[in-house]
Amino acid sequence: MLTPYDFQENIQQRAQYIRNRLQAGSPVIGISYENGILLLTTRRRGRKVFEIYDRLMLSAIGNQADLETLRLAAIDFAHQEGFVRSPDDVTVQRVVGFALSPALKKAFGDPLTTPFVVRALFAELHSTPERDMFYILNYDGEFTPTERFAVIAGTSTAEEQALRYLSTTIESVPTFEKALPVALIAWGIAREAAMQEEAEPIPESRARERLREELQEAQLEVGILERQTLRENRFRLVPAEQLQGYLRHL
Amino acid sequence: METHAGDFASLLRAWQAQTGTTLPLFAPPTAANQQVEGLEVHGTTVIAVKFKGGVLNVGDRRATAANAVMYDRADKIIPLDDYTLIAIAGAYGRAMEVVRYLRHAFKYYARSQLQPMSLDGKLQEVSRVLASNLPNALSGIGLFIPILSAYDPDQDAGRIFFYDASGARFETPDYGAAGSGAERIRGVFDYIAKTKGAFSERPLEEVLHEAVLLLDIAADLDAATGGIDKVLPTARYVNREGVFEVPESTLREIVSTLRGG
Repeated sequence: MLTPYDFQENIQQRAQYIRNRLQAGSPVIGISYENGILLLTTRRRGRKVFEIYDRLMLSAIGNQADLETLRLAAIDFAHQEGFVRSPDDVTVQRVVGFALSPALKKAFGDPLTTPFVVRALFAELHSTPERDMFYILNYDGEFTPTERFAVIAGTSTAEEQALRYLSTTIESVPTFEKALPVALIAWGIAREAAMQEEAEPIPESRARERLREELQEAQLEVGILERQTLRENRFRLVPAEQLQGYLRHL
Repeated sequence: METHAGDFASLLRAWQAQTGTTLPLFAPPTAANQQVEGLEVHGTTVIAVKFKGGVLNVGDRRATAANAVMYDRADKIIPLDDYTLIAIAGAYGRAMEVVRYLRHAFKYYARSQLQPMSLDGKLQEVSRVLASNLPNALSGIGLFIPILSAYDPDQDAGRIFFYDASGARFETPDYGAAGSGAERIRGVFDYIAKTKGAFSERPLEEVLHEAVLLLDIAADLDAATGGIDKVLPTARYVNREGVFEVPESTLREIVSTLRGG
């Protein structure tokens, strides 16, 4: 017998489909530090951390094509607004809340379109670390602002575990040198937790092991926005040689 | 979703179509423009000289409208990105709009396409925006002349380009200048290069000294050029490491040396 269309069931199925596909994604860790803000993740193929505007960057887990659509929409909106009004009017709150979130919600709720398979983390730099912002944008258009640090990972328990580690480890605003090793461990915890069924706490040693294993096949990618710089562009990817120094002490 | 392949002009045109507005940059000239002539604020003398490893730009700070000094803190040398400087002489309002456009255009391309725009691509973009400004320039307003200084990673050297109002691009081997004071000092560049050697072979410190002196001479010979005493000039340079501003203290020292103190 043909069952009638059930909106709730349809939504649940779509959400389940997306969650299954997100689960294997490489987590992204964001930390606000003294002279900037960083996003850390690993990549096997293409780039993962992207500059959106003068003080805004993005990384995500999910489908590459969906991420590309999201990234270009954010860049278009930011540059249009920055030129027509002022660069000061380009804020993460407007980019995520106004330009992106309604489009994601529309695609997710419409049974005739493919939903976005993506969970994105935006980082916005301000004049002091206390004012830096992170925005997590979900596949269904929901977004959450946070401060100091943020995590996106394959499952919500993985995110919770990594966040717990970050909140106990980071007591005050760290330097870049202090923030990076913490971000590495948080990445390992989130990755390991997303791969297992039961929600038992991940010890640091397992997190290190998971990261070492990952780096056999993947590369570390860290994007930063610098608070004080002589350069015109605040965004840059941290060079591999500089990252090697941190990985040696892993 | 519409993609613009990194073309900022295309993005803005789509925005215009969507909102039903016309940005000043794309507005055609009107009869009212004619009356602006004489009220329009103009920037005066800017100088670009090579040094070993890069290009230095120096400009006075004066902006004039007819024979009135409108502003003595104008910044006519502006970084477009980490490897490009633009120096502008002529209609200040239109030039600033174009500079804002170019800054966004270069960054929009780099961020969306995940590779920097090539030097030739940037030069072409400047040509394009000047050519589209020509009807305005012919109607009597908005004429300005830019000098573009860039670090070219392929040649590992600085390069200087200047334009005419229609967008024609010319490369100059050693130095260039634009604005009302520039014509008067052309011979001095030649004299310095012929007696002391090409600018491109000399260190930044020496070239900076020469450039400030050149600006001082321009101010002596041209009423619209602001000079170096009342307000310090702007000096920026570009080399392999990026775009930098010469600190005020360095400029003050040079000015006081030139004044015999």
